[in-house]
Amino acid sequence: MYSLKQNKLLLLGLCLPATLIVAIFIIFPIANGVYMSFTDASPLRPTSKFVGFENYRYLFADDVYWQVLGNTIFIIGFATILAMLISVCLALLLNNTIRFSGLYRSLIFQTWVVPWIVIAILWGWIFNTDYGLVNGTLAQYGLIESQIDWLFNGKYAQWAIILCFAWRSIPFLMVIMLAALQGVPGEVLDAAEVDGAKYWQKTFKVTLPLIQNISLAAALMQAVRMFQEMTLPFVLTEGGPMNATMVLSMYSYNLAFDSWDFALAATVGSLWLVMLVLFGAIYLKTVVREM
Amino acid sequence: MKFSFSKLVRGYIIPYGLQASALASTAILISPIVWMVSTSLKKESEVFDRPPVWIPSEISFDSYFRIMNSFVANILYNSILVALLAAIIATVIGAMTAYALSRFAIPGKSTIMLFFLSSLAFPIPLLMMSMYILLMKMGLLDTLLSMIIGHTVITLPITVWLMKNFIDQIPKEIEEAAYVEGASFLRIIFFIVFPLSMPALTASALFVFVTSWNELFFGLSFISSPDLRTVPVGISQSFLQEFKTDWTGMMSLAVIVTIPIGIIFVFLQKSFLRGMIAGSVKG
Repeated sequence: MYSLKQNKLLLLGLCLPATLIVAIFIIFPIANGVYMSFTDASPLRPTSKFVGFENYRYLFADDVYWQVLGNTIFIIGFATILAMLISVCLALLLNNTIRFSGLYRSLIFQTWVVPWIVIAILWGWIFNTDYGLVNGTLAQYGLIESQIDWLFNGKYAQWAIILCFAWRSIPFLMVIMLAALQGVPGEVLDAAEVDGAKYWQKTFKVTLPLIQNISLAAALMQAVRMFQEMTLPFVLTEGGPMNATMVLSMYSYNLAFDSWDFALAATVGSLWLVMLVLFGAIYLKTVVREM
Repeated sequence: MKFSFSKLVRGYIIPYGLQASALASTAILISPIVWMVSTSLKKESEVFDRPPVWIPSEISFDSYFRIMNSFVANILYNSILVALLAAIIATVIGAMTAYALSRFAIPGKSTIMLFFLSSLAFPIPLLMMSMYILLMKMGLLDTLLSMIIGHTVITLPITVWLMKNFIDQIPKEIEEAAYVEGASFLRIIFFIVFPLSMPALTASALFVFVTSWNELFFGLSFISSPDLRTVPVGISQSFLQEFKTDWTGMMSLAVIVTIPIGIIFVFLQKSFLRGMIAGSVKG
């Protein structure tokens, strides 16, 4: 008899490394971080004292915090919506029997491995005011009269970041949606066709509702990952101009490792954690329950 | 033969239309990469041409030779070392945990899995602060090991998640048969279950490798010696200042640091996607 379930020693051995890592480097830092948000901790000071909600009060009264929060939601929201729309269309398109569709898929997916630091330099070159590809192409077709300062104008810089985040999210979303499309049973589509449904009716009434949950879950996962992404604004715009492209993760990182204000950075992180929990609760209530 | 409009549409317009739109959208999506490669191969004189030139009139590798020095070799070496070790450690530890979660009766299993999934979204700066303090106390700051630890920590949850969903689909009967034959538990896990999970192992190792190759901020705050810098740290801390307006040089470096990961990916893509999809869609 295969008595794996009784083998306590094996279970312990298998789980020990991960448990240690998670306890020391994830659970402790989270708990300690939340604790630090109620103190005036800083690595520049040998001791720290408890200050209650002082950091929270300071942050809520700070215009920059609200601006950063707004930027982050704006940038990630639009990037995710844009990426979803394009990925759905791409997945539907490449799900047809098209010659070379495998090649197209892998070419598009290749963009997923381009390192962020490379993307940051590349975006700086493409959106360069005097010699960039974007201004060059727009001018070539007479769409602009003078050069646009893409990265030095708050609104434009935000859109340059949004475009980049969307571009970067498309490969992953497309692959997940293609996989979901392949899971749509052919009989259902055949039945719809027998009933006289046209291609667009099949797509909107049958296919898309069937892949809706997986797509939403993938979009959410992607949005959450983008929340942590700060290499691009850090290198490309340094959060500027005037904090226009400052995202929450970078704001918190700068507070911690530039101003060495661990307490305030921990406060930003703790509030982020609260948002995450709320987000997760809504997600579990709506998306998962329907599955 | 009678001319039929619907035949024309079905036979030519739709197939060619689909082909054209697939080609066009792929071209647009990969155009930034093409532009990067194209700039890196241009002669200095052609870089600033208006309207933009996509195909260099003369291919030149000058900028590659210009930027390839011991500094670039060093950051590549550090990155490969950190990414490789993090990938191995995170994948092996993740796979062991995943096997336990898949086969043992562990109380609160779904909560543990939910924790692993949500820890992907945890605020990294919040983790980094306490990690910084811990590593300082351990005397590990300013070592490559500190980065390996950091990258292992942030990717371990996804390796557990991917592996568990994959191992769940491997029939238990195979292990039972091996057990009856007299194989030990460790033998079963390492010589039967893991080889059967190759797509998922590949997927998670590659995921860790890519994440590590990408990661800037652990390196930025944990490392102070210039010769321990990884690719993103080296580029942002020294290269960008030094090569500010040398666009061909910058694009050459961009191509060079993308190549290692691109090559691995070309070979492992099929396996990676299989593991990734099995792990996330069915999960």
